[in-house]
Formats: sequence, structure tokens, C-alpha cells
Amino acid sequence: MSLLAEKAKDVTRTLLPVVILVLLLCLTIVDVEAGVFIRFLVGSAMLLVGLSIFLWGVELAMNPIGEHMSREIAISRTPLKIALLGFLLGFLITVAEPDLLVLGYQIEAASGGALSASVIVYMVSIGVGVLVSLGIFRLLGDMPFNRFMLITYVIIFILSAFVSEEFMAISFDASGATTGALTTPFVLAISLGLANIKGGRHTEENAFGLVGIMSAGPILAVMLLSVLTEQKNIASVEIDVGVAEGVLGPILDALPSIFVESIVALLPITLLFFIFNFTRFKISRDELSRIIKGLLLTLAGLVLFLTATASGFMDMGRIMGMELAGMSRWLLIGIGFLMGLIVVLVEPAVHVLGQQIEEVTSGHIPLNLIRITLSIGVGLAIALSMVRIVIPEVKLWYFIIPGFALALVLSFVSEPIFVGIAFDAGGVASGPMTATFVLAFAQGAATVIETADVMIDGFGVIAMVAMAPVFSLMVLGTLFRHARVEFPSRKEKEAPSLPPEEELQHNCIMVIVNRGFAESVVDAARLAGATGATIIRGRGTQEDHKVVLPIIHVELQPEREIVLLITGAHLSEQIADNLLADPLLVREGEMAVFMVPTEALVKIPEQDAPPGGASSGT
Amino acid sequence: MEAIFFAVVNRGKANAVLHKAQEYGARGGTIFLGEGTVHSRLLEQIGLDESHKEILMIPASRQLCRKLHDMVCREFMFTKRNRGIAFTIPFRRRTLQESGVKPESPAGGAAPAYSCIITIVDKERGKDCLKAAWAAGARGGTLVHGRGAGVPTEFYYPLVIEPQKDIIIIIAPREKAAPIKERIASELELEKPGKGILFILPVLQTSGLFENEPGDQGGVAS
Repeated sequence: MSLLAEKAKDVTRTLLPVVILVLLLCLTIVDVEAGVFIRFLVGSAMLLVGLSIFLWGVELAMNPIGEHMSREIAISRTPLKIALLGFLLGFLITVAEPDLLVLGYQIEAASGGALSASVIVYMVSIGVGVLVSLGIFRLLGDMPFNRFMLITYVIIFILSAFVSEEFMAISFDASGATTGALTTPFVLAISLGLANIKGGRHTEENAFGLVGIMSAGPILAVMLLSVLTEQKNIASVEIDVGVAEGVLGPILDALPSIFVESIVALLPITLLFFIFNFTRFKISRDELSRIIKGLLLTLAGLVLFLTATASGFMDMGRIMGMELAGMSRWLLIGIGFLMGLIVVLVEPAVHVLGQQIEEVTSGHIPLNLIRITLSIGVGLAIALSMVRIVIPEVKLWYFIIPGFALALVLSFVSEPIFVGIAFDAGGVASGPMTATFVLAFAQGAATVIETADVMIDGFGVIAMVAMAPVFSLMVLGTLFRHARVEFPSRKEKEAPSLPPEEELQHNCIMVIVNRGFAESVVDAARLAGATGATIIRGRGTQEDHKVVLPIIHVELQPEREIVLLITGAHLSEQIADNLLADPLLVREGEMAVFMVPTEALVKIPEQDAPPGGASSGT
Repeated sequence: MEAIFFAVVNRGKANAVLHKAQEYGARGGTIFLGEGTVHSRLLEQIGLDESHKEILMIPASRQLCRKLHDMVCREFMFTKRNRGIAFTIPFRRRTLQESGVKPESPAGGAAPAYSCIITIVDKERGKDCLKAAWAAGARGGTLVHGRGAGVPTEFYYPLVIEPQKDIIIIIAPREKAAPIKERIASELELEKPGKGILFILPVLQTSGLFENEPGDQGGVAS
């Protein structure tokens, strides 16, 4: 199955429930004009094609670009260069984000011109730049991620005491706006690249979290702006809640501006990459053409996808919100829950994050479990937002502050890799689908209910969507770490027999150990005369016990590492004995050693510890 | 444990194969991720030349390996193209008791028809390696990302740079192994130190390979 087919299948699987829910509602209780209805179906088809192409392009282009850039950052010799590069990356990708400019104009109007849109865009971009740069220092300097987030959010909590509820909603919304469809995959790739270069035992944990750190930037920036300018209250402005008519007209109307926006959003990353490629990386022509192809696909996919959501989904969401709010409040809350449950899975960044989780943990963390948890979190977030629209006494901070506070407490008892994934998921979940379909649904509902305010309640929805997954995934991570049960099972060994042929002068030794022990294996092998090794990440069921999560009965396959060593035949016995004599590796690492004679072509450099590129040899 | 049974399947399938294998008596397995590749210029040009794969390793006795081959052919249709491939490599499990015991010569039977050629090179050169192998008659190949053992550096942060590596696994008929090896070695300059290593493992049995049909990619491809 090719990559594109894989993506298309994945997108179809997540999009289908959304289409079915809307179809069911339209055919039963919600009364929608034919034009809007057909436009939704056309939009769904466009979304399917666009998102598949986009995800494919991201894999071809964004991942390698992120990898090269992160390498450039990591091998800096001065902290200043790390700081500057990190800031530049964060600033540039944010300043070009179209959603942020839209938000800027909304705030400008709401504050009666006291805060201009460009001030907001620059402040938020600076906030992101600073946080990305700090996040990179955290990763390279080995500061625990949960401690970093604790400090960041304590500052946010303190600031939030000085800002009004409206500004609090806006600041969290700004964080949702910056983690757009394009920035999130890119920052995820940077994070992964840095973690890979840094290596060591925390590689997997380090591959996540930078998006979470980055989303704190806008919150801090907007809150600081409010405190510094003493801008507290904002006036509610009318938001255009009209519904466009016709089928093709609105789609064609939206296309040109979205095309321009997408190019602008893609430009900084592209330019930065080409400048660095010209001066530093100088990658091969094959790879370059691949990346260019990927960039073009990313652009095409993004335009199709954003046009589909803006023209096909927005009006449908608005009409559904208006009609349901007029019918029954319970129905509104219930449908809101269902929508949150399924819509979040269509978010492009959710697919990218899922892919990264799979790659990094080699499938150790069941992807579906992450998706289900994410869904439940966002479903609850939308349902609670509807409650807030229906009952004006319920304030946003009732949910936001306790939610984040609990998540932070749990981050100290949760499985470490989940902490990064959870905070990333917050930024990932609030993407273009939430910003159009779900937001329009909430705004539609708010126009019908007199006590609700279209703008302020709308802002709150995105804040909730950004918070809920952090909380729900952190709960899952805590379950993962604390609720494992182990089942001991039988143990027996077979009598060995087998073979080297005399003319084979090398042996291939394959060692399978628990994650984190590969380095010890290499060290022990080096003591016995091996010179290098290659390590592959994997997962596996061990022979004598298995681990099952309670309640949901998901079997966990522990993470394993595979170490390949090619050694001279005269050394291999000694190396194998040396490894097996290490009680720590055998007991804690649950090591298995395999050997086979091989015909090898190996050239060993002069020194016994080969530098850089040579280290995979024996 | 006299051998390891390998199966290369589409991503997400490995667990199903492992569970089935456990019903047949396998005790456990290790899974890692890789990429399948297709030797087709057209597909390569439009970027459709990759697919995600999982590689499953099950240590087992030779007898069990033979059973597992039957199992994948029957239950997972490895007899059809593009369902996946499986092969057995006579990896011997080492334990301390066994240390120093001279192993016997390989169990009898016909000489194995296939060889498994594994090349480990710096990341980004994996594709070049595959191209060289294809030029010498190989049909498919599976790419796995791994890392070399760490080397301390002197950047601002004392990173232990773990060089990223591509591991290329190619299953080819035994008579083709030598030319493929030569071709890879010369095109990737493996004779120079530090350029990479290549080794050939004996293969006892294979399933899902379609070497003779033109245009087929040995099942390794998607």
C-alpha cells in the first residue's frame, strides 16, 4: 500500500463519522437549504482529497526540513546561536499564520482600536519565538518537561488573576490560532529531530512537548499585553453570522484568498530552508527534488483543505448550532459532545501527531487509545462549552484553571512520554476544523440564546478544546504508569544446536533488550573488543510475561531495542559471554542474544572508537 | 531457539501475525518499523515509491519456523503477491551454559535458495544502496531507520551524537547475492573505512517471494 493510499484510508476513516452525523441530523431534525447541504458534501470530498495530499506532502517535505533545521540548531557551538535560531523559527512560522491575523483584527475591533492587529500579531509571534527557544534549551539541557510546564503555567495563572475573563479567553484562543495546520507538523518535526540528535534514554520523551511549550507563548503574550496596556474590558462586536447561498459560488469566492494565505504561511519555512540549504546543508539533488515535490503537495493539500472547511463546513456548523439551540438545550449539549468526539480526529495535526507517536514508540503506545482519549476530552470540552453558552453563570475559568492545574499535578505521576504528548495534543486539537466547523456551531447557538455573547463564548470554545486533551491524555498516562498488571507465565529453554561454516569469518550478533539498555549493551560489547553497533527501536512481547492495561484490556507491548553487532568470529564468543555475564542486562534488560555466522564486508577505521559516520561498523 | 522467523507486513498487521503465531506455539516476538520500496521509475518520480511496513521477528525452533511459514501462507495469504514476505534466518540463541560448546554444522537439506543481504549506511544513503542493488538484479528491499552507537562531541551542549543510520534488508536468490554485494560495495564505496558495512546472512526458507514473475518486486514492495 503506498503512502498516499495509506493517508487517504486514514482520512476517510476519520471523516466518515462526521459526514454521517451531519447527514443524519439534516435528514431528521435540522432543516438545511439544499445549497448548503450540497456544499457540505462537496466540501467533504474536497477535504478528503486535500487532507490526504497535505499529509503526504508533510511527510515528504516538512519532516526532512525539520530534521535538517534541528540538526543545525543542535550542533551550535554557542548558546547565542541556539537562542537566535530557535527564536527565528518560532517567530517566522507564527507571524505568517493567517488565523492569527484574523484574530488580531477581531481583537482590534473589540478593543475599539486600542490594540492594533499588527501589535497583537507581533507580540504573539515574539511570545512563540521566546518559548520555542526556551523549549529547545530545555530539551538540550535535560530539564524535566513537567517542571518546565509547571513554571510556565504558574506564571500564566498568576497573570490570569490580573486579566478579565474576556482576555483570558482571547489569550487561550490566540494559542489555538498559532498552532495551525502548518506550524504544528513543522514544530513536531523539529522536536523529533532534536530528540534524535540528542539521543540517550529520554529520546522518546523529548520527541514531544515543543508544541505544548510553543502554545504557552501566545497566552503569555496576550495576557502581558492586557496587563501592560491596562486593557481589561473589551466590547462585544457583531460577528457576521450570515450564511452564504449557492453551491459553487462560496467555494470559488474563498479559494483565491485562501490560496494567498497558504502561500504566505508556507513561505517562511521554505525560504529559511533554502537559505540554509544553500549555505549549510547542501543536500543531494534527489532529496531536494523530493522536498520541493513535498512542499508543492503540502500547498495544494492545504488550499483544498482550508477551502473545504471555510466554505463547506462553516455554514453547515452555524445552521446546525442555530437550529439545535432553538429546539432543546439538552440536545445542543448532547450533539456538541458528539461533534467534539468525532471532529477532532479530522484535524490534520492530529494525524501528524499520531504518525509521530507511532514512529517514535514503534507502536508501543496504541494509536487508537490515544485517539479515543483525545476524542473524549474534546467531546467533553464542546459539551461544557455548550453548557456555558446556555447558562451564563458558568464561567470559563471554572474549567480552564482547574483543568490545567490538575493536568500539571498529574504530569508528575504520569508516564513521562505522555506528558509531552498531552501538552502537544492541546495545540494539535485546536486546528482549522475546530476554528471553522465547531466554532461556527457554537457561534450559531450563541446567536439564538439571548444571554450568550457570540464573540466571547466563541473564544471560550477554542480555549476549552486546547485544555481538555491535555487533561484527558494526562489521565491516560497516569493509568499507563500505575495500573499495569503483570502475568507471569511459563519458562523453559530449548537445547541449542547450530552452526558456523568455517570460511565465514564474521558473526552477526543480534541482541534484543528493553528500551534504555542498548547503550549498556554497546559498552559491554566494546569492552570485549567490538567497535561499533547499530541500534533499532522496536517493541515486543517478552517470553515470560505480558502486560495488560486493566479496565480496557489493551495489551501493552514493552518497548525493546535491537542491537546489531558484526564482529570477527574470534571475538564473537567472548562478546556474547561478556553480555550474558552482565546480571543487570539479563535481569532488568530481559536480554536475548542471537548469533549467526555471516559473510561480511567491513572496513574498520584506524582508531578503535570510530568517529561520526563510521560508528555503525564493527 | 535455533532460528528466527522474520515477516515483513503492512503496518498494523504485525500484531495479528504475532498473535496467530502464538497460537501455533511461538512464545513472543519483537516488532520494528520499516519502509517498503518499489523498484519502479514511474512511481518514484511521482513520489509514490514508499509504503510503511512492520517487521516481525519470532525466535523459534526450525520446526516451528516451518509451521509459521505454512501459517502465513494459509492465514495471511502470503501466497499472493504484496501480502508480505517471510523468511527464516538461522540465528542461534546464546546462553551462558552453552558458552564454548562447538555448534554442529547446519542441519541438512537442500542448500538454501536465498540470501539475506543487510547493508548499514549513513542515513540518506539508503536510497542509493537500494538503487545499486536493483541495478544488480535485486527486486525489492526494506528500509529500516536505526542509529549508530553514540560518539561524544564538543558542541555547546555535550551531546552524544548518535548518527542516524539506514539499514537495508534485501532478500535475493543466492546466486545473485554476490553481484548485488559487489555492486553495492563499489557504488557506496564500502571498501573505504566508515562508509558503511554489508553482510550476508543465510536464509533457510522464504514465503511470499515471487522472483520469476516479471515486474514483481519480490513481495517486499507494497
